Order: sequence, then C-alpha cells, then structure tokens
Amino acid sequence: MLNYALKNIAQAVSILIGVISITFILMFIMPGDPARMMLGQRSDEESVRSIREELGLNKPVYTQYIIFMSKALRGDLGVSYITNRNVSKTILEKLPATAVLGFTAIFISFIIGVFAGVISALKQNSFLDFLSMSVALFGISVPQFVLALLAVFIFSATLGWFPIAGYITDGWNHLILPALALALRPMAITARITRSSMLDVMTKDYIRTARAKGLSEFKVIYKHALRNALNPVITAASSSLAATLGGVFFIEYIFNWPGIGLLAMDSIMKLDFPMIQGTVMFSAVIFVLINLLVDIMYALLDPKVKIS
Amino acid sequence: MKSQIQIPDEMNAKVSEKGRSLRYYTWLRFRRNKSAVAGLIVLAFLIIIALSAELISPFNPDLQTLEFASKPAFFKALVLIKSDKKFSGSSDRNFIPVKKLIGENNETVKYIDYLDKEKEISKTELKKSGNDSYIQSVLFVLGTDKYGRDLLSRLIFGTRISLSVGLISQTIAILTGLILGSFSGYFRGFPDRVIMWLINVVWAFPSILLVIAISVVLGKGFWQAFIAIGLTGWVDSARLVRGQVFSIRESEYIEAAKSAGFGSLRIIFRHILPNCTGPLIVSATAGLANAIIFEASLSFLGLGVQPPTSSWGQMVFDGYKYMITGSNFGMVLWPSIAILITVFSINLLGDGLRDASDPKLKK
Repeated sequence: MLNYALKNIAQAVSILIGVISITFILMFIMPGDPARMMLGQRSDEESVRSIREELGLNKPVYTQYIIFMSKALRGDLGVSYITNRNVSKTILEKLPATAVLGFTAIFISFIIGVFAGVISALKQNSFLDFLSMSVALFGISVPQFVLALLAVFIFSATLGWFPIAGYITDGWNHLILPALALALRPMAITARITRSSMLDVMTKDYIRTARAKGLSEFKVIYKHALRNALNPVITAASSSLAATLGGVFFIEYIFNWPGIGLLAMDSIMKLDFPMIQGTVMFSAVIFVLINLLVDIMYALLDPKVKIS
Repeated sequence: MKSQIQIPDEMNAKVSEKGRSLRYYTWLRFRRNKSAVAGLIVLAFLIIIALSAELISPFNPDLQTLEFASKPAFFKALVLIKSDKKFSGSSDRNFIPVKKLIGENNETVKYIDYLDKEKEISKTELKKSGNDSYIQSVLFVLGTDKYGRDLLSRLIFGTRISLSVGLISQTIAILTGLILGSFSGYFRGFPDRVIMWLINVVWAFPSILLVIAISVVLGKGFWQAFIAIGLTGWVDSARLVRGQVFSIRESEYIEAAKSAGFGSLRIIFRHILPNCTGPLIVSATAGLANAIIFEASLSFLGLGVQPPTSSWGQMVFDGYKYMITGSNFGMVLWPSIAILITVFSINLLGDGLRDASDPKLKK
C-alpha cells in the first residue's frame, strides 16, 4: 500500500513539474516585455531596468526557468501587474467561493446524473430514457457561457425566480442558479456513462444469479448492479474533472461569482499575465492533487483494485 | 536484412467480392439510427451554408446601417436604391433608409428619413432600370444588431468560422495525437513514458483555460484560435490511439508483418493505424464538437476571430452587453441557437457512429 501511494505521489510530482514548465513556456513565448507591462505607461528606462533586474529577466533562460520553478514549488507565483498584490494570496482568498460552487455542482451532478442514468438504463428505449438522454446530449452540447446567459435571461430577468448575479453573502439563493448551470455538463456526462455502464452490468451472470436467489428488484439493482456500474462512473468523473469543471470560468464570469474563475477571466481581460499564469497553474495543481487523492482513496476503499 | 519469405498471392488478393466490409455493416447500423442520420443531414446542411455564404445571405454581413440598429426579428424597412450596383454586394452603402415616402414628381422623390427630417432626392441619383425599382422593401428575418447589421447574414457567415476553426484545429489535434499515440503505443518503454507524461501534464489543465491562455499568449486572431484549440485537443486522440496500438500490436497479422521484415513506420502506418480508424473517427467527432464550443468561447471573450468578421461567440457577447437592458434578445438568442444546433448535431452524429461501430451494442 505504501509503495502504491509513493508511486502515485512520485507521478503526481512529475506531472506538477510538467505543469509548472508549461506555464513557464507560456510566459516565455508571450510577446512583449513583462517589465514594461508591469510599469504600464509610466515606464522610463531606469525603472524598466530595475524591474528587469528584480524579476531576473536579464538572466539566461535556464536560470530564469530554475528560479521560476523553485519559486513556484514554494508557492510564490509573483505579483499582479494591475493590483501589485501577491498572486498566490489573491488566489487563496478566492478559493472558498469557487470551492462552494464547485462542490455543490459536483454533488448535484453526481446525484442527479447517476439517478437519471440508472432510470434510463432500466427503462431502456422508453420515453423517460429518450427524454433524459436528450437533456444529457443538450448538456454536453451547450457551451457554458450560452447556458449561463440563457439561465440568467429565463430564470432571473424574465421569471424573476433567482437573483441575476451575486454571492452567497447576499443570501443562499444566489448559489442555486450558478451551481445548476455549472452542474449540467458533468451531470450529462455522468448520466451517459451510468446508463451505458448499467446496461452492460445488467446483462452479467451475477445479476441473473441475484434474481434467481429471489432478491427484490430494488436490491438487485441497488446492491448488485449499481455498486458495480459505478466504478467506471467514478473513474470517468475524476479523470474528466478538469474538463467538466472548466465551466467554472464562464459561470463565475457571467454570474459575477467572486471565485478563481472570475479572477482568471478578469486577469485575461486585463492581460494581467502573472495572475493568468497563477490561476492556470493553480487549477492544474488542484486537479493533479484531487486525482492523486482519488487514486489513493480508490485503492483504500476498493479491495478489487490490484495494487502492483 | 530483408527476409526472403515470399507472400503468396492468395494473401494479397482481395477478400471475395461478395463478402461485405466491416464498414458496410457499420453503415447499415448507422443508417437505422434516425437521430444520427438527422445529425448527419443537419451537419451537411451547415457545411453547404458555410460554403455558399456569399450566395445565400440576404445582406453583406458587415454592412452597417445605423438607422436600422437593434431591430427585432422580421423588421421591415423601405430603402431607396441609389446606383445600379447589386444591393448586397458591396459594403458601401448604395441605398438610403427611408422612414416614410411622402411623394414624388418627375424629377425628385420626397421622403422622411430616420432623423424625422423631410428630404428630397433627384431621380437621376437613383437606380433607373425597371419600373419603380428604386424603392424597395427590405426584410431582416432575424432582426439586426446594434450597428444595424443583418443578424441572419452574420449567422450565415459565422457558420464558416465555426466549422473551419473546428475542422482545422481538430485536424491538428488528430494528426498530433495520431503520431504521438502510435509511437507511444508501438515503441513502449521510454518513448511511451515521455509521451504519457506529456499527455498527463496537458490533461491536468482545464482545457478551456489552457486554450484561453495560449490564445492570450499568441495574440488574438483566426490562426491563433485553432492553434490554441489544436494544441490542447490532441491528448484525447493520443490516448485513444495509444490504447488501440497497444492491443493491435499483439495481433498475429502484426507478427506476420514483422516477420516479413517490414519496417516499424510501414507497420504503424499501413497495418496498425488503418485498424484504429473506427474509434478515432468517433473521438474526432466528439473533439470537433468541443472545438466548436471552444471557438465560440474564445470569440465570446474577444480572443478569436476579430471584428468585423462575424463569429457566433462574438455575436453572443455583443448581445449580452445589451441583454439586461432588455433590447432585442435575439442578438443573444440566434447565435446561441446556431451554436447549439451545430454542436448538438455533431454529437448526435458521434453517438450514432459510436453505436454503429460497436457490434456489441445491439439495438
């Protein structure tokens, strides 16, 4: 077990180094002089030179890379061009808002997605199946920004059921619409995988055995089919987390939700490169850490996962 | 050293004429899937629209007529045609928007313009050929945007951007994925570990954010958009190809090809890759749908194709700025529907291809 965990941790560290390297390359090929961008309009030669000195921009590339790497590994992501504030600190301040939204969305998407998938599989080719799979296909086809805009227009602006934008400090009802909008895509993916996985499992011999034993249909489905069908769902859900939660950027932007997504979008609009770099890197790091955690938990909880 | 084994003619001969190929049966299964066929038809229709944009769009998509700004769907207006040039052909305005016609005599036409001023124009400046043809009624089926540009025409031209960025970036992604994935799966060992590491690293980034970050770094524009999308999209196809190659590599015909002395490249490109086209096409369709979503998202942020070229994401953004004030929701709605229909039909097609290419799934 310890070996397995260590192997996973080592792999995660190597991926983290890759993530930091890609972020460095992004900054490096970026056109323009960071020192000038930092100073903005009021750039005289003297201060440009001193900033270049301070950022280490006058050093050769590999030295810059090593400095960047060692700083990043210590959590130092530099200072914003616009606000002059520490990037890591700003990101950590925004983390709770994104975490609340993200976890709510994941929770909603998992519960509803699995439920819809199971119902669809059990009532295959019925109207209910057709309906939920159509909604799921809509869910993976609609861009998050379109979804968010339509949701705001229909439920906030026209029907007035929810506030147009804002944070939970103004009331918990501010959470509902953004969380649902964010949840739709992962929900759709979960429902589709659950359906096909359930269809596959229901043809297995052990289901026939369970039925032959005289178990109630509910027990057959809940204890035997679903337990086994959920494995691929959990794997897919964790490995596509980055893709599914990518929506957080547009959702937070449109709902004006003060999280990391809004921070990233704002810095993209303002071309605040250290902040863009920081949010990009931070999202990837979070994803790697969650995957590591899922892998280890998986091994701990499921004795069938072979640890080799 | 080349092997001396001669390959008997029977092995080179084609499978008997009457036997049908696997692809034929896939097509049969696909054809029975109504929604997939519908997806294919809609996609074909969109491709035709994209190719013939100049012919079918009622107006020049960049033509600004501020008098007609932000009008709802089915907005009708009167115009006086000035010269003999074709109305929708040039971006120079060759017509005068008219609010109301008051009267005309042999030399001049009197009208009220959109500033509610009475004006007069000499008939010599107006279009001559035909009877009464200098006064025309124009119809904006989907209404206009804040510059008075026809939304329908902009949507039609936007089809071109969406589909071409989607197709080109997906081609980049598939080719990259194909090469890296097949090398990784075929050679295993060290190359595999390096490529898998790279896949995992790119995988770790939320793809939309990576696409945005690359576009920010490369600068705004058409080419930048599909390089950014292509550079992030290859991981899926690389993973898939790698897995396929891993298993196909063990099959007997590859053993045979190896013992016949074929080189690695020939084996990969002639014997392995053709056998993973099925799953690859399915994944490419899903990738195309995503690429179109990414393109729309990029141009929504103003990072994709630059104005005045029309793209759906940008149209949504233009409308979004005016949405809360309640003026012409069609500015947001129509391009949103266009994106939805396109991605939806591609996904229908992809699902159909997946089901059809998997013989285990019987319906």
